[in-house]
Parts: sequence; C-alpha cells; structure tokens
Amino acid sequence: MERPGLRVRAAQAAQVFTSSIRFGRKGTVIWDSPDMIAMQIVILPLVQISFFAILAGYIGYTASGVQYIVVGNALQTMSYAAVFSVANITSSDKWQGTLPTLMVTPANRMALFVGRAFFQAGLASLMALVALGYSAALFGVSFARADVPGLLVAVVVTGLTMMSFGLLISSIGLYLRTAMIVANVFLFLTMLVSGVNFPVSALPGWLQAVGYAIPMTYGVEATRLAIAGASLGQMATALGEDVLSGAVVLALGYLLWEAFERLARRTGRFEEY
Amino acid sequence: MTNRRQAVKASMYMSMKLLLADPQWLIPVIIAPFIFTLVALFLYRDVSGPILLYAVLGAGLMGMWGTTVYGSGSSVTTDRWNGTMEATLAAPIPLVWIVVGRVIWNTLIGLVNGAAILVIGVLWFRTGFSVTDPPLFALATVLTFLSLSSFGLVLSTVYVLSRKGGFISNSIEIPVYIATGTMFPVILLPLVVQPVSFAIGPTWGIDAIRVAALPGYTGIGTGYWLDLLVMLAATACYFALAFYLYVRVERLAKRNGTLEEY
Repeated sequence: MERPGLRVRAAQAAQVFTSSIRFGRKGTVIWDSPDMIAMQIVILPLVQISFFAILAGYIGYTASGVQYIVVGNALQTMSYAAVFSVANITSSDKWQGTLPTLMVTPANRMALFVGRAFFQAGLASLMALVALGYSAALFGVSFARADVPGLLVAVVVTGLTMMSFGLLISSIGLYLRTAMIVANVFLFLTMLVSGVNFPVSALPGWLQAVGYAIPMTYGVEATRLAIAGASLGQMATALGEDVLSGAVVLALGYLLWEAFERLARRTGRFEEY
Repeated sequence: MTNRRQAVKASMYMSMKLLLADPQWLIPVIIAPFIFTLVALFLYRDVSGPILLYAVLGAGLMGMWGTTVYGSGSSVTTDRWNGTMEATLAAPIPLVWIVVGRVIWNTLIGLVNGAAILVIGVLWFRTGFSVTDPPLFALATVLTFLSLSSFGLVLSTVYVLSRKGGFISNSIEIPVYIATGTMFPVILLPLVVQPVSFAIGPTWGIDAIRVAALPGYTGIGTGYWLDLLVMLAATACYFALAFYLYVRVERLAKRNGTLEEY
C-alpha cells in the first residue's frame, strides 16, 4: 500500500491532535463535577499559597519575602494539572484497559502523545492565573508595574513546558506499573527545587542540578521578572531556558514512549501488573 | 464482639500484607508531608532557638497527618480499583469494622512516617531534640494518634460513596496542615477559619505535644490537660459520628447498588 503524501499525513496528524485534545477533556472525569472544578481551580491554589505565606509571615519574613513565596507558589500550583494529571494519563489507560487499543492505532504518535495532554496545559495556565489573582487580591502582590503580555506568555509557556515534563513522567509510567508514584514525587518536588519558596542557590549542589533540569525553575523566574515590570525582551533568557528545557523533556519523553511501546509490543506485556 | 475484633485484626493484617506486596504505595503517602517539611525547614534556615524544634515537631505531625488523610482515602478507593468493593461490603460484618482496621494501620504507618521525618529534621537541620516532659509528650502523642484515627474514619465514609476519593484526599491534605497548626499557631488564621481549627481534635493534640516538649510554650493557652480533654471529647464525637455515618452509608450503598458506577 502506498504511503500517503506529506500533506495528507500532516492533515491526519492535525486531526488526531484535535480529537486527542477533545478526548483529553472528556477523559477528565472530575470535569463533570462543578465541585471538583471549584476544588482544583479555586481552593487548591488558595490553600497552598496560604500555607507558605502564613508560615513565612510567622517566621518573620519581610513583606517582599512573603510575596516572593506567594508568586512562586502561585505558579507552582499548575503542577496539579500539568504534572500530576498528565503523568497519570498512561496509568489511567492501564486501569481502564484502553492501552492495548491505543497501541494498535495507526495514529501519529506525537500528535496523540501531546494532544491528550494539551487540555491539561490550558487548565494549568488557568490555575496559575487564578492563583496570581489571589496573590494580588489577598497577599498584597503589586501588579502595578507588571508587563501583562509578558506575564501571560510566561504562564502559558510554563503551562506547556510543564505539560511536557508531565509527559516525560507519563512515558516512564508506560514501563512502570503506575506513574502515580513518580507523579506524586514531582508534583511536590518543584516546591523544593525550582526556586518557588527560596532561591535555588540555597539548596545543596546536587539538588540545584535537579532544579535546573525542570522547566518550572525558569518559569518562576520569568513570572517574577514580568511582575517586576520586565519587558518580553528582558525576559528572553528565562523564557528561552524555559522553552529549551521543555523541548528537551518533551523529546526525551517521546523517545521513552516509543522505546517502551516497542518493548511492550515485543514482550506483549502492555498491562502486566 | 469477638467477630468485630477479628475483623479489625484481619483488616490490619490484610493492609500490612498489601503494603508488603506492593511497598511502592508508601511513596505517595509519605512524599507530600516529607517535601512540605523540607521546604518549611528551609524557610526556617536562618532561624535558631526553640522555634526550630517547634518546626521539626510540626513536621513530624504533618507526616502523621498526611499519611492518615491519604491512607483513609485509599482505604476504600483501593477496593474500587481492585474490584473488591462489593465483596468487602457483602462480608458478614459491618463495613465500619473493616475500615477501622485499615485506618488504624494507616495511622500506625503515619506514626512511623512522622518519627522518620522528625529524625531527618533533627539530623539534617541540627535542631537538637530535648523534650521538657517525656512521659507527657508520649501520652499526648499516643492520644493524638487515636484522634487522628477517628478523624480518618470519619473522612473514609465520604470515600465509600464517592469515586473521587483520591482527588479529595489529595485536596484536603494542605487544608488540614493549615487548620491544625502543624507549622504555625492557629491563632494566625483568619477568624472565620479558627472555629474549624478548634473543632478538629488533633489541633489540641498538636498543642499538647508542643506544651510537653517545648520549655515555656503556651500555644493555645488552655494548658496540657485541658488540651487533652478537648481532644478526647472530639475523638469520642468522631467515633460516634463515623459509626453512625457508616450505618447510613452502608445501607445507602447497598440500596442504590452504584458503588462501582463511574
């Protein structure tokens, strides 16, 4: 059978991509419950920011020190969607018995791989924006000098790059019994290693290396720059590093996905527990 | 009574076997309190004196709490995943006794987790660990353990009816850290939140633990014995509420027949 031309294959990939986005939305069970939506978008960011802001205030941090922590946590809350939910896509397939069906589809793998997580990237950005709203309304962070387009770019880009990071973990989950364990670790680890609550330089050297491998570290830096009034040009380095680290983890995740898919096909152990 | 005791024992034994068969599930249970602790202790890094021991104690309590909350959620959710929900409900013993065994087991793991975090905190951040009154400290810790179990039991009733157990337990983890004053006094919370804090038994237990451990610590200001009394009263209420809810929930679940419906 003759292989379709490049244009046809691109159109097919686009179709797979858009249908995967729709499926990603439909597969998100909690989105059928308004209470769960409220919990994830309204409550979660508020309680996380509150915990660290009150703690910092209790220890005696200055107002600017507390605000540093508030902004960091506001962006980090996107991890619930971009890391935890995305990482668990593969595990959900295993639980629901849909993995073998997915594996035999001739659909473009990259479109499928990214498409199913794309909805979560949007949700992640929305969570971070709501959290930044809290930081202004409840925690005294001033956005008077903020470069709003730059801030939006930083949030959306970080939503996408952290989604890529979530996909890397999801790929590992294809090999493991479940990705939930690793997802749990990385959901919270960025609070420690990505400059969310204190500068990365305060960490031991080996932990700094972990931090610099995760896009969140650069996203937090870019967000703080945007709030301080930096233009997109001045944010270019941080955003560039964010995009670069995101591209690296995406490529790595995709290669791992392909490798584990080949392994699963060869051994016939798609869903072995 | 013997049957109930046997059910609790068997349930604890089964929980232990499941953990030993698949110990990786310990990681999500301990990771959040552990990382929260590390972050909190890093925030305390330029501080010295008794406040550091205050933080380390709070860290240990977060470890206990996190495991209890997460474990309560998974004690019923795991049945759903494994397809054993109906069989468990059809057992000739009220469901609550089976869950009691699981919750006690989870809280025991929480105790170990809390102790491990405490040791790591003391060693890594070199806070030292000298307790003012060790017997009172031990008593408060054991009773707080009991109170955590009762709170976990109440939480678990929600998970019998809801398919969102995992999500709920993930979502309430940080609120319970905040509300019970693990890392800062509850008096710093907004006034509207404080009544909730004071209605949670372990809030008083945490205060009693600190009163017994830290020299000159007054905390809520009610004193050690009153703290314990309030916590025990709350614990008794939780147990009564949990048993009442389980009877209702079990009846509802059997009548509707929608336990595993998604």
